[in-house]
Amino acid sequence: MIRLALRNLVQNKTRLLVSVGGVGLALTLVFFFDAVFTGAAGRLTLYIDRSGADVWVSQEGVRTMHMSASSLPASVTGEVAAVPGVEEAIPILYSTDMIQAKDSEHIAYVFGLPQDATFGGPWKIVDGAARAGPGEVIIDHSIAASAGLRVGDRVTVLGQELEIAGLTSGTSSLVNSVAFVTMDDFARARGQNQVISFVLVKVAADESPSGVAARIGQNVDGVTVQTSQQFAHEERKLVKDMSTDIINIMNTAGFLTGLAVVALTIYIATISRRKEYGVLKAMGARNGALYRVVVIQALVSVALGLFTGLGITLLIAALAPRVSESLVLTVSLSSLLRVTVVSAVIAGVAAALPASQLARLEPVAIIRRG
Amino acid sequence: MNDRGLHVSHLTKRFGGGDTEVVAIRDVSLDVSPGEIVLIMGPSGSGKTTLLLMLGALLKPTEGAITLDGLELSALSEARLPDIRMRQFGFIFQDFNLLSALNVQDNVAFAAELAGLGRKEAHKKAAQLLTELGLGHRLRFAPEKLSGGEKQRVAIARALINDPALILADEPTANLDSGHGHETMRLLREIASERGHSVVIVSHDQRIKDIADRVLWLEDGRFTDAVSMVIDPVCGMALQVDRAAATLAHSGTTYYFCSRGCSWEFQESPDEFVRGAVPERVR
Repeated sequence: MIRLALRNLVQNKTRLLVSVGGVGLALTLVFFFDAVFTGAAGRLTLYIDRSGADVWVSQEGVRTMHMSASSLPASVTGEVAAVPGVEEAIPILYSTDMIQAKDSEHIAYVFGLPQDATFGGPWKIVDGAARAGPGEVIIDHSIAASAGLRVGDRVTVLGQELEIAGLTSGTSSLVNSVAFVTMDDFARARGQNQVISFVLVKVAADESPSGVAARIGQNVDGVTVQTSQQFAHEERKLVKDMSTDIINIMNTAGFLTGLAVVALTIYIATISRRKEYGVLKAMGARNGALYRVVVIQALVSVALGLFTGLGITLLIAALAPRVSESLVLTVSLSSLLRVTVVSAVIAGVAAALPASQLARLEPVAIIRRG
Repeated sequence: MNDRGLHVSHLTKRFGGGDTEVVAIRDVSLDVSPGEIVLIMGPSGSGKTTLLLMLGALLKPTEGAITLDGLELSALSEARLPDIRMRQFGFIFQDFNLLSALNVQDNVAFAAELAGLGRKEAHKKAAQLLTELGLGHRLRFAPEKLSGGEKQRVAIARALINDPALILADEPTANLDSGHGHETMRLLREIASERGHSVVIVSHDQRIKDIADRVLWLEDGRFTDAVSMVIDPVCGMALQVDRAAATLAHSGTTYYFCSRGCSWEFQESPDEFVRGAVPERVR
């Protein structure tokens, strides 16, 4: 039956190409939007992942950077630093703001860091200084490139005109980028210097982040303490929750398109061989055997479509950064598993209609009535 | 009664009911012995194919019994019939009905695999059978690359692969030219004589009478007892005596012709055409 199914499938190469191509494009749609959101989510947590902090301390109840605001007394930094197992604790200020330059504006997550901070700063400098000094800012080079800016040019951030001291790489996403200023400049712009946003903690070499986080939670009041992994996870979850509806719409569109293409091609392939299936029934083939032929055809079509869709998405993911560094596509394992399950459902549903046709097929109809 | 072979007893098939009831087969009885070829002829709509479908367990009779090698098919449940069809019957169709996606050998082997034979064994058996039928050089060919006669030989090989008790052929020569038609008839004769299969053929083709052990005339759903059939001595066509276009007497024998043209040709040199065209009874 497998051989018959495969031969049936490849006999009409145009039909196979249309089927596989259609499913491939439909699944590319699903893969693509998933990859865009996964890539964007990855960029959104990039600072958390690359800051060098093992533990994040925020205002009590605040578990994410985005869609929330954390405000802590500056004194908390000292309290945290005093907890056993903490090697170093640095305060940071954080806000979403615009980088205004010439005629353009770019949304950025702005971080204010102590000048002597040993971590928490930009991790990949492509031009200029690695730390912002007073009156200076470090921005992403893709933003600088798009706005025609260079090191030494001036931009407005947090309502202050600052000089670009350095350019980072890999911190921008489709919707925003990251900028670094000194904590003093940040505090001055806010008009207060006794409040910080977060405390970043590096734990001692012989300590676990989760153990130290628990200890900080026990010793410091009014704070929420999470390991960097937990903090990034919460951040990704927030982004995912915000984008679930869009992803679901795209997935549904891809699912329905793929289903329509496979169902139609398998249906046509089955109907065009109606007489052959009737002969097989006359020869003694049971419905189950004929269903297997149809299901195998649907599964193979969808599997080929899945590989095509994955291939196209990976190709786009590889080419996208050449077009724009901000466009990052990430095909995750969970996305692959989800699309594979969707594909299997498409194959099953697409095979149902032809299978029901075969069930009703009377071999008697195949033989001419005398 | 010998259990072997096909035994049909008082078979009736009705379609519909009440005022719209159609009786396609009326109280038909028939025995076919192993190795025997029975040709069923009759006008269109006479019930030939309905009878063939019932003999092949594809259609349930309304009344009567069909027994093949001691097994009463008409009493079996629907669920058992596919296995019976697979192993006990070989079907040969007018338009061959080969699986277009499979090559010649796969087409024949597929029927054996359906019946439970392993892939290798099925292919070996198919190759052997096809070689016996003169298609050893066509094993890898797609059906569309074959001539009509070759296609029908593949269909015959497929019908034979599971060594069935009964071969049922529906107009097996209808789509073949004269040469391939004769070749198919010769094969069917061999199948019956040398392999011992019972063969029931439904056809309009008078040529098949040459290889049939018995010819039955089905009309209005029942076998008619006596139909006088004759052969036109000029063109060789079989025709009913009462439907002959012309008759001529020669050397004390009456000859029947399908057309006046044949009778004129006969008149010019009768001795050239006289070769036993005596009216014969087909049943």
